[in-house]
Amino acid sequence: MEGCKAGDRKMQGLLYKQTASKMLAVCMRYAKDRMEAEDVLQMGYIKVFQKIKEYRGDGSFEGWIRRVMVNTAIESYRKNLRSLNVVEIDEAYEQPSTGFDFGTLGMQDLMNVIQKLADGYRMVFNMYVIEGYSHKEIGETLGISEGASKSQLSRARAILKEEIIRMEGFGYATYTG
Amino acid sequence: MQPIQDKDFDKLFKNAFEDAEITPSRDLWSSIESEIEPKKKRIIPIYWLSAAAVLVVATIGFLIYQQQEMQPKQLANNVEPKIIKPVVETPGFEDSTKAVDAPSVKIDEVLPVNSKPEEAIAKTANSENAKPVAKEKIVTAPEMQKKELMIAKVEEPTQDIKAKIDALVSETNTETVIASTATTAKADEVMGDDNQIENKGIRNVGDVVNLIVNKVDKRKDKFIQFRTDDDDSSLSSINIGPFKFGKKNRK
Repeated sequence: MEGCKAGDRKMQGLLYKQTASKMLAVCMRYAKDRMEAEDVLQMGYIKVFQKIKEYRGDGSFEGWIRRVMVNTAIESYRKNLRSLNVVEIDEAYEQPSTGFDFGTLGMQDLMNVIQKLADGYRMVFNMYVIEGYSHKEIGETLGISEGASKSQLSRARAILKEEIIRMEGFGYATYTG
Repeated sequence: MQPIQDKDFDKLFKNAFEDAEITPSRDLWSSIESEIEPKKKRIIPIYWLSAAAVLVVATIGFLIYQQQEMQPKQLANNVEPKIIKPVVETPGFEDSTKAVDAPSVKIDEVLPVNSKPEEAIAKTANSENAKPVAKEKIVTAPEMQKKELMIAKVEEPTQDIKAKIDALVSETNTETVIASTATTAKADEVMGDDNQIENKGIRNVGDVVNLIVNKVDKRKDKFIQFRTDDDDSSLSSINIGPFKFGKKNRK
């Protein structure tokens, strides 16, 4: 880490190697597809190396990098929001996956489901459920009201549940229950 | 189907993504590396750029200086052999009319050609130092032909003139040629009043250059000036910004 602060290219490469796959998993949750995720990952690491001197050592270093990635993803979402129309809810259903057996639902499947969510829902769901932001924080960050954050979260959950049931074909409730 | 609690549902996702890893594309690091790189190296190019700028200025200065040194010699080299040749060749040959006819057609081209470089120089002369010098050389080539012809005509015995004129008149577009070469009086009529300086007599390369420079450069010390009193048309002065150079006492 000290090497990274000094701008040592080898140490930067080492840091990337150690953390990149975890961080890509984070970026993937916020992105529509892998390409978008890797774009965010790239921007995120550039920020990490630029801001590494600001890291004071409070909390884990990996947690700090993860926060940089999440912030980069949110920033990218907000930038896109200006140029792109908000995706309609219906788009969440455009690619129904079939053939998943009960119990085989893994991280990759959940990732697929999340990526199919409309951008706004995906943001709120990720920030609240995985990152642990409060609705107030989400509202402030995304520029929406607290109530909107809550309603979008519950709508996102509903869509995800429906989608998972569709993927499994039957009885996912027994799997979790 | 039992409805799942939101908390449990969220936990399902949180656990799934807790230690999730997805390997990035191989070339991603290299593109990150190349994005970070310019920031570090950007400091160096500023020094390089300034060094390069100094080098360019120095080179241009040196070239101009060198050209000043070279110009009189070059002109002397260019002028002399070409003048001598027609003098040697033309006298004694009976088919001298042919020799005259052939270049006389070219003269028609020479005059318009002269006007073109004028415009070109007018556009570039003051800002670009190197280019006008190059233009001069372009001008000299056609002018040489003219000079050749004039010398040839001077050398020609008067007996042939009648036959010459007959031959020329029979051709189309030769009237102006005769006018500009044979008699200055006719030339005045053809050329019009605008070109008074031109009519004063363009006897050599120096005259042409002086004429062009006069039109382009209104300063007292011209960009380049030639002595035209003698046929050698030696360089009398040059004024390229900081580099001035006068040779008024030299013959």
